[in-house]
Amino acid sequence: MTPADLPNVAGLPRGHELPTAHFRLDAGDVHRYLEAVEDRSDAYGQAPEGGAAWVPPLAVATMALRAILERVKLPAGAVHTSQEVEFQRAVPVGASLRSRARVAQRSEMRGVVVSVVEFDVAEEGVAAPAVVGRATLMAPLGESPS
Amino acid sequence: MSADDIPQVPPLSRLVTQEGIRRYAAASGDHNPLHVDEEYARKTPFGGTIAHGMLVLAYLSEMMAAAFGHDWLAGGRLKARFRAPARPGDTLTARAEPRRVRDGVFEYGVECSNQRGETLVSGTAEVAVGRCQ
Repeated sequence: MTPADLPNVAGLPRGHELPTAHFRLDAGDVHRYLEAVEDRSDAYGQAPEGGAAWVPPLAVATMALRAILERVKLPAGAVHTSQEVEFQRAVPVGASLRSRARVAQRSEMRGVVVSVVEFDVAEEGVAAPAVVGRATLMAPLGESPS
Repeated sequence: MSADDIPQVPPLSRLVTQEGIRRYAAASGDHNPLHVDEEYARKTPFGGTIAHGMLVLAYLSEMMAAAFGHDWLAGGRLKARFRAPARPGDTLTARAEPRRVRDGVFEYGVECSNQRGETLVSGTAEVAVGRCQ
């Protein structure tokens, strides 16, 4: 599927499930993320080979949102208005992850579409999620995708 | 146990720069032109580039991770509303105000504000202490 073929998130009905994504955050990915957010805390432990032992949990949520954005188009003027994330299990650097997402709510009012997309991320082969979240997006009704 | 018994969380400050926003776009894969294309962003209602909301949220998460370590990684919860954009040149300060403790979960009101005292992100952070997985 090319980017032009992706569905507009504002048009997806409640209950719509996006295709499952699979990804991995290796030491280089985590290093780049920590540099980008200038996070120099020692909360993520120390791997024997150097670098962090644990993935910053918001990096996991960020990658889940990236997976969503690779599966839908955002309409021009769409705004990310709120975000909830819950970190249930720490994710070791290098773990293989799968991410699921679905449209949990969709409403229209005064020319605006409000879509709430829920996601959960778990290590491959582990049933219990590591991170769950809800992103609320607002988009002008009838806008063509950007 | 009351709010007075909840650990204080030290605030943290970060300067937002266009270069930092570009680094975040590369690390996160979110290359929305509103964040990285100054000419495009000038023509939008924002009037210029703005930082990714998740970048600002990362400052709140870092603040909590620095205070609670692994308990935040495996028992943290953040609920935030993006109220106004962070722009290049802004100095952001993340703060946490103790609210209450319930069943071993510490709750804080959190916010990220700019150098003019405008609240850009606000919400709550909760952390369950001693339940690490």
